[in-house]
Amino acid sequence: MTAFDYIMAGILAVFQGPVAFSFLGLPISVTVVMVLAGFVLGIMVGATPGLAGPMAMAISLPILISIFGFSSDALLPVLGFLIGVMKGATVGGAVPAILFNTPGTPDAYMTTLDGYPMAQAGQARKALKVAHFSSAAGDTFSDIVLIVCAPFLALLVERYLDLPEKTALLILSLAFIAAIIGGSVGKGIIAMGLGLLVAFIGTGEDFYPRLSFGTQTLAQGFSVTAVILGVLILGEVFKAFEDMWHNHRRAQPAKETPQQGDQRLHAADLKRIAPHVARSAVIGTVIGALPGIGSTLAATLGYSVGARTHARRHPDRKPFGQGAPEGIAATEAANSSVSGANLIPVLSLGIPGNAAAVFLILAAESIGGFNPGPAVFRFSTDTVNPELVMAFGIFTAMMLGNLFNWTLGGLFMRAAGVMVRVPKHMLLPVVLLMTLTAIYVQDPRMQAIWFTIGFGVLGYGMRRLGISPLPFVIAFILGGKLEETARQAFAATGADPWFLFNRPVAAILILAAIGFVAVSLRKPSETQQ
Amino acid sequence: MQTPDPFPRTNLLLSLGCIVFALVAVFLWIPMDSGSGLILKVRRQVNIGDALAPTIAATVIGLGGVMVFFQRRAPNAGGISLRNLGSVAYLLAICGVSFALMRWTGPVVAWIAGGITGEALDYRLLRDTAPWKYLGFVLGGWVLVSALIGWIEGRITARGLIVGALASLALALLYGVPFDHLLLPPNGDV
Repeated sequence: MTAFDYIMAGILAVFQGPVAFSFLGLPISVTVVMVLAGFVLGIMVGATPGLAGPMAMAISLPILISIFGFSSDALLPVLGFLIGVMKGATVGGAVPAILFNTPGTPDAYMTTLDGYPMAQAGQARKALKVAHFSSAAGDTFSDIVLIVCAPFLALLVERYLDLPEKTALLILSLAFIAAIIGGSVGKGIIAMGLGLLVAFIGTGEDFYPRLSFGTQTLAQGFSVTAVILGVLILGEVFKAFEDMWHNHRRAQPAKETPQQGDQRLHAADLKRIAPHVARSAVIGTVIGALPGIGSTLAATLGYSVGARTHARRHPDRKPFGQGAPEGIAATEAANSSVSGANLIPVLSLGIPGNAAAVFLILAAESIGGFNPGPAVFRFSTDTVNPELVMAFGIFTAMMLGNLFNWTLGGLFMRAAGVMVRVPKHMLLPVVLLMTLTAIYVQDPRMQAIWFTIGFGVLGYGMRRLGISPLPFVIAFILGGKLEETARQAFAATGADPWFLFNRPVAAILILAAIGFVAVSLRKPSETQQ
Repeated sequence: MQTPDPFPRTNLLLSLGCIVFALVAVFLWIPMDSGSGLILKVRRQVNIGDALAPTIAATVIGLGGVMVFFQRRAPNAGGISLRNLGSVAYLLAICGVSFALMRWTGPVVAWIAGGITGEALDYRLLRDTAPWKYLGFVLGGWVLVSALIGWIEGRITARGLIVGALASLALALLYGVPFDHLLLPPNGDV
């Protein structure tokens, strides 16, 4: 098969897969329906303060697996749904930020600075349209970069990196994530070490399952679902419960301002915001391609660079922070362009860079048949590489999500305004019950629920101590792979204990890992997570 | 005037805790609880043993602890107060009571029903049939959601009770009706 054949096979896998229903005689595939369903759910979830895309992905996954099973046919519908959620949540976060000064997702905070003043001035619908256009443009640009870059990066890795270099690359990724996420490199390193240690419990090559204290409970290790959902979702839910308990009496109901005047987005408006969209899309894509750096930083950087340029070039126009549409454009293009680029390290290296990517990997691992990493992009000509077809199917699903975003996104965004009225203190207990039920249907033992709650308490404690849980989760996911690669590299180099240092590329990667940590140690202070 | 940091010693305690944990893990736990050492020699071939990876992970934790020690005076380090611990304990207590209700409601109701009707009803044989399979989940889920809402609001309200009942019923139907093969809590354990 040629590269073109693989691309076509991926596209056809999406559009000619199992049929959900026929519309005007045209068969509509299940994957198309699932991308749309995920996208709509994502907008609703993104528009609900206190919920986030990863939460919806976590809760949906077991339901999706129950519906579609563990066959290879399940991969595209399930991953398509999760991709839809990821895209929808990014757009939806701007809705409450503009209408009610309450960011639906943390990366939409900067959107409040100009979005809410516009809404107060009676221009909410126009602000929503600016946010939608910028978000869809940034997301599409980022996906194109992903589609172009991921296969080349994977091919480079496969061609030039041998086992010692791959081991060094995994170490570099972990060190980078630990050093960059959160305010304190020391705490990032602690989280990473803890994640690795948990990954090693109950595993190993010896007959005796290590670190299990001789108990059957720990002999099987911890399930990926229990650890990830516990630390990422329940930890956040537990912290939110406590915060709400303390702040409940101070909560004020959200108010909406009446709208007036021209709400349309004209060509002149698009011309005004286009440079900001383009600049922020590049910033977001570059930041998104680096594992561990989230969309919040991209939004902040896009906004601040946009604000400086705007003040210098157009001192006559309304400045950022006072209801400038350019401010919304700069923020939304930046935070949305992170989502596609974030999948570059996942698909090309198998290294998840954010929580959404973690759930995509979890889905792929749960269903089987697709292992994100450089081996996916083997363009074998004599035999069909089904993983490569799947990768192009995923790219097609992403572009389909963008199409839905451009055509229907604005409509759903306006409808999602009601979600801010859902009381968070009633929603989160339901989310907790849903998460625990999701765990149980996957692993029907009360023990699994208690493990998840235990990891939830760990995630809560980490957040209270200012330790980001993401290095923990990513280290847990990569721990097994790191050990396996290191074992193979050690054996392949004839038991050379210096295999990470006596090959130039591996040595450079290891030195870069040490360098990142050393440079990050110079941070003046930390901020609480 | 600057507000005093409520947790001035968080970083110090965290760093010392991590260093002590790392030392205990490296010198006691890992060597005593692994099937092979750091390096394994099998027929003159040297391989990586099962203890190496966890030892490196524990060393990384210790190194992180040392780094935090040198950053121990950083402001806004966060912390855990007695109030935080109380909240977690309360949360765990709510979860414990709810899970106990989930676990035992079905068997107890089956036992009572058996006593009334005179039939020998065993929950294990009924756990795959409606309404038995929903009893524990609906009651336990209802208590979990309602109690958490009540905790945050400071009192049990009718609205909280209704939300709890609707949420647990909806979830029971979502998983129970379309998917015969899925087991709701606690039916996989009894």
